[in-house]
Amino acid sequence: MKFNRVGILVKNEVLHGPKDVMLVIAVVFPILAALFINLAFGNIFTDKAKLGIYDQGTSRVVPILESSDTIIYKSFNSELALRAAAADGAIDMGIVLPGDFDIVLGTGTVSLKAFIWGESQAKNRALIPIALADAVRAAAGSELPVTIDTVALGDEASLPWSDRLLPLIVLMGVFYSGLMIPSSALINEKQHRTLEALYVTPATLGDIFLSKGIIAVALATVMGVLTLVLSGSFSGPAPLIVLVLFLGAMMATEIGLLAGAWVGDMNSLFAVLKAGGILLFGPAIVFMFPQIPSWVGYVFPTYYVIRPVVDLAVNGASVGDVAVFIGVLSAIVVLGGLAVASVVRRLSTQALRLNA
Amino acid sequence: MSPRTIKALLKKDIALFTGNRFYLLITVIGLIFYIAIYLILPSKVDEKLSLGMYAPVVPPAFEQLTAQGAEIDFFETEEALKQVVLDGDHQVGVSLPADIMDIWNAGGKPDITVYYSATAPPEIAEAIVTLIKELSYIQTGQALQFDTTEEILGPDLLGAQIALRDRMRPMLAVLILLTEVMTLAALIAVEIEQGTARALLVTPMRTSDLFAAKGILGVGLALGQAVIFMGLVGGFSHQPILILTTLILASIFVVGAGFLLASLARDTNAVTGWGIMVLILLAVPGFGAVVPGLLADWAKAIPSYYLIDTVNRVVNYGAGWGDVSGNLLVMSGITAVLLGAGLAVLRRRFQ
Repeated sequence: MKFNRVGILVKNEVLHGPKDVMLVIAVVFPILAALFINLAFGNIFTDKAKLGIYDQGTSRVVPILESSDTIIYKSFNSELALRAAAADGAIDMGIVLPGDFDIVLGTGTVSLKAFIWGESQAKNRALIPIALADAVRAAAGSELPVTIDTVALGDEASLPWSDRLLPLIVLMGVFYSGLMIPSSALINEKQHRTLEALYVTPATLGDIFLSKGIIAVALATVMGVLTLVLSGSFSGPAPLIVLVLFLGAMMATEIGLLAGAWVGDMNSLFAVLKAGGILLFGPAIVFMFPQIPSWVGYVFPTYYVIRPVVDLAVNGASVGDVAVFIGVLSAIVVLGGLAVASVVRRLSTQALRLNA
Repeated sequence: MSPRTIKALLKKDIALFTGNRFYLLITVIGLIFYIAIYLILPSKVDEKLSLGMYAPVVPPAFEQLTAQGAEIDFFETEEALKQVVLDGDHQVGVSLPADIMDIWNAGGKPDITVYYSATAPPEIAEAIVTLIKELSYIQTGQALQFDTTEEILGPDLLGAQIALRDRMRPMLAVLILLTEVMTLAALIAVEIEQGTARALLVTPMRTSDLFAAKGILGVGLALGQAVIFMGLVGGFSHQPILILTTLILASIFVVGAGFLLASLARDTNAVTGWGIMVLILLAVPGFGAVVPGLLADWAKAIPSYYLIDTVNRVVNYGAGWGDVSGNLLVMSGITAVLLGAGLAVLRRRFQ
């Protein structure tokens, strides 16, 4: 194996390699999914009432409502826009705050205009005026006539759905690229017989596999980081998170290279991925439903990618907390690398279906 | 067109379809998956806040809780209340002290404890806390004076909310249909890739026979599955003819899109890849039915919007022919253009 040969192969693959639809799927699909899940699914499962306000003045209540945890607040610039939002369900209730709202409230009854979405639930219709009253009292500095203690019962912590879906998004980012790019590239080369042409050059099969692997690892790492950033979860120790994503990208690429070596056509590759998908994306299901015992996750290799990422990015874990997971992940990557090396050594032109 | 030729081509295509294990598997598993998703999702909407309460004395203001949209179960002891929250029977429990009224009368601040299940969405406990705060203000004579003029927009579904699974039904039905764009395109792409289309065209068969056979197969595949799905999930309970007409129109749309995709894609791999991208794009309006208010007006530029909106309005809101005629008209136009373009490009590719 010569590094300059691998370098030339990487350069040629990047510059002249197929920019086919697999590349589009591997890059575009995870980004679309991250954006979509972040925008839509985070709100699908939330039970929060959505309040829209058109403030005709500059009420002190508005900033308090904006930071409220009880409701989702949206601001509107006109009564027409507020009404339209309530009509199509973008908000449960739209309230017009008159310009003198704060002044009148201190002296008497305030007349408010409210637009209610017909499909809004009873609890949301009840809760919004209460949240508004709560904000008014907070603005007025009223003293709460009660002490309220909140006590969580049970061991498992509740995570919002946007956080529960994060593992799926990150796994898609890393594994779509890491797995699909090298496997589809190898299958394409086999089908179009360009691998045969490469094989008669001084490049060895090891060089060819390595060049495809380098591209996939780089792309998968970038996609992992990108999906985390798009999900608004790239926080915590950045170098460590990138390291875990890099190791995850290596694992994905190793699986992709093995699939590319063994599988003969794209349909079979999709069938293999469909059958093996549960092994790849199983941990995402474990994270989605806290009712599933956490030990189930340990069975899946990809768990050791996603657990440290989630712990570091969402749960604020330290290096020590995730060291064991990173250790196991590194071991899996080393084993995967040995498996790829072994397969490459054993591959013959016949196994690759060259000269067929 | 020759019916005999079309029949023979259909036989060949069905054999080709059933011979492609990948697509056959996807088709069957997909249909089961869609039906399972619908059946697993909750069939009702929990419109009210449900909570357990331990309250030896219920302050008069707290008796308004039910009127505030809450359903309350009372428990004899605080331990029993904690247990039901732990067991998941209630996501939130509220414990009021026995001397709550005495403390208030003496000008003090009573301690109220809100127990919530750690697995419950945080907003549930927050909502109950906000509710209790407001009731405490009211109880201590600090009610705020709001005089609200309310206008209900759209049909008032209070007490008759559309469940999430029913909101998803139009999207699932149309997704089942649209997946067949890939199947049909793949079948045509195989013919082009393997050169069998050219071979067929040197026989007495005409291109119109070939297109008719492919079209019938596409409509059959798409419509058959959509009808099975809608039949099993109660999609024909209102205006069945209108729903069937919409599904037929959607199936023809699928054929047009399949022709176009097949004629533009280089090979079956490209069909699969671009097919997924097209499917994602066409699925976008479906999420507008699931999450009202999510999509901006630009979603109306996606043709599937008119299909999903029609099915949604008819199945979930009881719309009739007159209500959705505009949608059907737009969809017919788009389908005619798509089918024409697909046929034209495909004819050029074959010849």
